Amino acid sequence: MNWTERTWYVDLSEGRSWCEEASRDEVGPVIGGSGRGWQILADRLPPGVDPFAPENVVILNPGVLVGTRTVGASKLTAITKFPTIASEDGRHYTGSCTSGGRYFPMGMRHAGCDRLVILGKAARPVVIAVRDRGVEIEDAADLWGRGIDEVSVELVRREGLDAGVLAIGTGGEKLVRSALTFIDRTNSLGRGGLGAVLGSKNVKAIVARGSGGVRVAEPDTYDRISNELLAHVLEWPRREHWIKLGLAAGWSTFKHTQNPGMWEKEHWDKLYGEDKRLESLRAVIACASCPLNCRLRWQIPGGEFDGEQGLGSPYSKSATSGQLLGIEDDRKMIHLVTEANAHTGIDYYTTMRLIDFVTRMYGQGRITKQQAGFELERSYATYERLYKMTAERDGIGDILADGWYAVKEAFGLDPQEYWYAGVCKGIDFIYDARPSKFHPLMMTFLTRPRPHHGGSHTRTNSRNKTLEEIREQVEHWGLDADTMDRIFTDTPYSGRFNVGRYTAYMEDLMRVKNALGLCTIYTYQALFFADDMARLHSAAVGDDITARELIACGERVTNLAKIINVRDGFSRADDQPPDVWFRPMDAPEGRIEIQDYFQTKTLTKDDLARMLDDYYDERGWETATGHPTEARLRVMGLGSYASHTP
Amino acid sequence: MSATGRLVIWPERCRGCRSCQLACSFTRTGEYNPSRSCIELDRDLRTEKTAPMIRTLTCNLCNGEPACVDACTYAAISYESSADQVMVEYRRGGAK
Repeated sequence: MNWTERTWYVDLSEGRSWCEEASRDEVGPVIGGSGRGWQILADRLPPGVDPFAPENVVILNPGVLVGTRTVGASKLTAITKFPTIASEDGRHYTGSCTSGGRYFPMGMRHAGCDRLVILGKAARPVVIAVRDRGVEIEDAADLWGRGIDEVSVELVRREGLDAGVLAIGTGGEKLVRSALTFIDRTNSLGRGGLGAVLGSKNVKAIVARGSGGVRVAEPDTYDRISNELLAHVLEWPRREHWIKLGLAAGWSTFKHTQNPGMWEKEHWDKLYGEDKRLESLRAVIACASCPLNCRLRWQIPGGEFDGEQGLGSPYSKSATSGQLLGIEDDRKMIHLVTEANAHTGIDYYTTMRLIDFVTRMYGQGRITKQQAGFELERSYATYERLYKMTAERDGIGDILADGWYAVKEAFGLDPQEYWYAGVCKGIDFIYDARPSKFHPLMMTFLTRPRPHHGGSHTRTNSRNKTLEEIREQVEHWGLDADTMDRIFTDTPYSGRFNVGRYTAYMEDLMRVKNALGLCTIYTYQALFFADDMARLHSAAVGDDITARELIACGERVTNLAKIINVRDGFSRADDQPPDVWFRPMDAPEGRIEIQDYFQTKTLTKDDLARMLDDYYDERGWETATGHPTEARLRVMGLGSYASHTP
Repeated sequence: MSATGRLVIWPERCRGCRSCQLACSFTRTGEYNPSRSCIELDRDLRTEKTAPMIRTLTCNLCNGEPACVDACTYAAISYESSADQVMVEYRRGGAK
């Protein structure tokens, strides 16, 4: 079988679509899926474009393995220039976000669409339909102004029960900068504002349904490898617990790593812990081909929202925000998740952090009633009102909808004053480096424009993994002895595990996982490794690639992504950690400080600077600027992009 | 139908992963294609609950070793040898 990839382009301004095919050899150096997607974006997105301008591009890339029966092969990666991830002087980052799904990513591939490139801006609201006969632009006047759930259900009713839908909510329509999209109602996609970008293009939803098949180059080999991996996953000792709870699991780790440090742990446990989660959890839902389901359906028991149902994943975000805002009734916080997931699509994390910030600042007299428009009490009623005002861009909500820099401009409040996790590149985090400790995922929050894990999970993204466990995982990556030495040589700033150097390869592996469409839970739980991915890729496309070669492909993709942002003026100066990481968190159980991975010392800003030095050095980039060097680009076969860097 | 046996469907156990459809179509056609499998997935749009439905006119029970049974990691489809004429049976039973 000659493996090829079909990219569908849709130009909303011109009202037309067309398809281009690429062979395996053309795609090879950057892999297919989002790897090739990044290359297309590097060639199509000029610097300086505003995220809401018609010239911004959105590329949706289901992975190369999506639509097959490999465990966890359900993921789609979206690439665009994001409206929230930015510098204070108005430059915006181009980045990616990923999510699984049951119908949409697979539906694209079964309709013969391996990638969708969205260009221009529609004159009026539209739905983009991906079907066997091609990609069409259809009127969506009747869907505009309606919530995510309503629109998704309506489109499935029209297309058929196996149709997949990616939809934006009312917040995305109003260009609330944090607005997300939802895939198949259960999977959020696009922290950083993908929903707002689609809203700016007047795209309400994309529907995908196809009757074609996904073929692989070596079917028997591919099926055998898939079965081997599946058998291994089924033996995982924690599987029984995981499939019972999905993303409601993990509280025993979460309560330490994401602790905002305001309540006693026992108190938090009682209000938001695993037993509490079980009171509202109704079902766990799997993405396509996944034996470790994690998506949730809940139903609020009792209280003012009694009986309300929701889809997605409400527990971690409600637990952290509940503690930050001092709300002891978990049902109220879960209700706000339901509102976001089903209707508005605004980002719960960012909106809640901003509400926490402005209400506390109001209490300190840093915002006046005249500025706010009403009294900003620390109460649920105020939070809910601000949440709705943000989604509607009403009053002070219009400022919150524009994010942290807008709050600074309006009220003179520096985002660096924010006390939980902080702000970097214009956006807040879901984790705080102090309780989490400085693991490689934290490092990636500095080195790439992504405030979420976004496919980065490897074994090290929670503390307390042993050096032996980490080393065993890295041995599957095929790195040479010198590189291994650099990663595991003791340094005064990173201890026995060099987080900076490790992160470079972890990021490249993340590019591979995204390109293949593999969920990160499997590498996070050490259920499969880079060499397994190489075997799968080889059987799927008919090449013979090693783990090390795949990671080299991922490195090319990382460099292409970097070049796009370097063209927009970004450099090492933008890769700085939030100030709050270096201010001790005074929690009831004692002082919590940012520490190295094995918690042997408290880290300083200078320690993190040395880790950044190592990261750039490992990549062959200039340590002073963080820019790719011409020499390194030429080694990777990306010499034609060398002129794009200063 | 070349094998005698019975597919037992446990709708409450289904998590919607579609592995049954993918395994079935791969076994039948060599490609992964739910529309060419012998299984449709029912879908309740209120709850997103799903359940496999067997197209009995095309299913041949994979000659006694149904691919969908092996593929379902949530035990929503099982197989029983049977000499009677009932090819598919739906049973109540919670998540495994």
